Amino acid sequence: MDTQLLISGVIFGLSIGSIYFLTAIGLSLCFGLMRIISLDQLFYYAIGAYITYAISVYTGSMWLGALGGLVVAALCAFAVERFIFLRIYERDIAFTMITSFGILIGGVGIIKAIWGLVPRPVMMPVMTQWTILGTEIPVYRLIVVVIAALVYAGIWLFLNRTITGKAIRAGIESVEHVEGLGINVYRLFTITFILAGTLSGLAGGLHAPLIMVDPQMGLEVMPFIFMVVIIGGLGSIKGTLISALLVGQVVSIGSLIYAPLAQMAPFAIMLLILLIKPTGLFGSTMLKR
Amino acid sequence: MMNTLRWWSGILVAFFLLFLMRLFLPLPFSNEIIIFSIYVMGCSFLLGRVGFISFGQPAYLATGAYATAFYLFYFGTNPYVGILIGIVAGLAMTLIIGPLFVRLRSDYFALVNLALAVIIFYMMQKVLAPITQGDNGLWFLTNMTATPILDITRPKEFFIFAFLVCLAVWALYKYLNDTLYGAVALASKVNEDKVQFLGYSNFKIRFMGFIIANVTTALAGSLYAIYLGFVSPEMTSAHRAADPVVVTILGGVGTLYGPLVGSVAFTGMKDLIAGLIGNWELFIGFLLVFIMLAGERGIWGSLEPRLKALFARKNA
Repeated sequence: MDTQLLISGVIFGLSIGSIYFLTAIGLSLCFGLMRIISLDQLFYYAIGAYITYAISVYTGSMWLGALGGLVVAALCAFAVERFIFLRIYERDIAFTMITSFGILIGGVGIIKAIWGLVPRPVMMPVMTQWTILGTEIPVYRLIVVVIAALVYAGIWLFLNRTITGKAIRAGIESVEHVEGLGINVYRLFTITFILAGTLSGLAGGLHAPLIMVDPQMGLEVMPFIFMVVIIGGLGSIKGTLISALLVGQVVSIGSLIYAPLAQMAPFAIMLLILLIKPTGLFGSTMLKR
Repeated sequence: MMNTLRWWSGILVAFFLLFLMRLFLPLPFSNEIIIFSIYVMGCSFLLGRVGFISFGQPAYLATGAYATAFYLFYFGTNPYVGILIGIVAGLAMTLIIGPLFVRLRSDYFALVNLALAVIIFYMMQKVLAPITQGDNGLWFLTNMTATPILDITRPKEFFIFAFLVCLAVWALYKYLNDTLYGAVALASKVNEDKVQFLGYSNFKIRFMGFIIANVTTALAGSLYAIYLGFVSPEMTSAHRAADPVVVTILGGVGTLYGPLVGSVAFTGMKDLIAGLIGNWELFIGFLLVFIMLAGERGIWGSLEPRLKALFARKNA
């Protein structure tokens, strides 16, 4: 294969993997701590993208839009957590999953009601291209990768250096023990959920200029987020990062070789990994408490 | 004799009511309800008896529908053979992927199934486009020849056929619920460790349940194909993945008649809401959340104890 094509393919894969990572980390964290499968993260992803679109049309700045999208996604996550999830944390995992799917579908309905069915373009904030090894690389994609790396570093610092983060990590091991130490775990749940929703909103905002925003975008990206989460193992941040980069590369390089492969290859990899290790690469073997 | 009658009485009453509805409601609506309830029955069995939630039922629906469509479009003309082929395809599909999927935990199981539905969607839409004609779908309504005795190419007689099939499916599931297998499956849903101590294999129980549910779903798929006379990738898209789960919950999880009640309610609401406001997702999403918050028992699940109490009082 052509080297130039390969380089741009790798960069494309890195940027798409970063987006997947930002969305999947929410699902993964929520599962790790609260033992819920929060499919509504994809709604925050879509709402983040739509707010980015709306604000960037209004003010002309996509970065401002992404910031707004992030804030609105966080607010939505907070409201949903308060009014819905707080009541059903105790329930069986299948039921939280169905409820969150209901929120996702309802969210698609809300977006349709506000912005209509037509896909909308979002302008690229940085149009410059750098030449690396004789290949033109759009700088925006590199920025996305850098932002994802910063977020990973930030989450790592948050979980390892702050007391709240340490409590969250301890909660992933055993919520009862954390509760026994006198820490309000429901506060932790809220913080984690809002963090997850914010990152999903950020992912949507960053993804918006690379694609068109349309009401079904959350559902379209859903299978890939699933694959990332399943391959990495539910509840593991390191696993999510590795599998997001892996899936990103497979999608990107696969589409260079044979276009439909981009959709099929991650699935084949997922099946292969599940055959060898049914809990994913770094997944916990813990069951619902 | 009395026992046999009592065993059948519930099913017969339910289907008598269903047949009465046929007299008042338009034919397409009745056909839709019948096929849809067969579709939901598989999902309900999986969720209520085996304890596995599957967002991927459209994958198996499409398997049955496309197998039937391929046969009728390219090879043959007999719709009955088409249905048979659809069932066999559903069985073959489950036998291939079942052992992989059933080993997984219930949360992974749901996600993997949904992923499968999406993959089949892409396969039918893009990868196999030369055979499936992509988004245009396969049209074979005119390819089907009339069959003797019951001509299922005509909607009126199709209804009778589907009605009988539905009755048979319900009798089968009622029988399954009474057998040792049904009891063990329910036990494995409640506590898999204890079932293992009793000497049963959880894997075998679940695999069996998966096969039963998916063959039922594939049957519904081939009935859809015959009834509509065409198939398109639309039926396996992710937006419709939640439908059977929603209806299962709406009707009442794990109840025998839940899928029937749920299908009637769901199809009716779908027609009404789609006609009135047209924003179907918004409505179904919030309905789902509402049912889950209100106690997840569904329509039939809340109705059944009351009916039982009513009849018990009469008999006493």
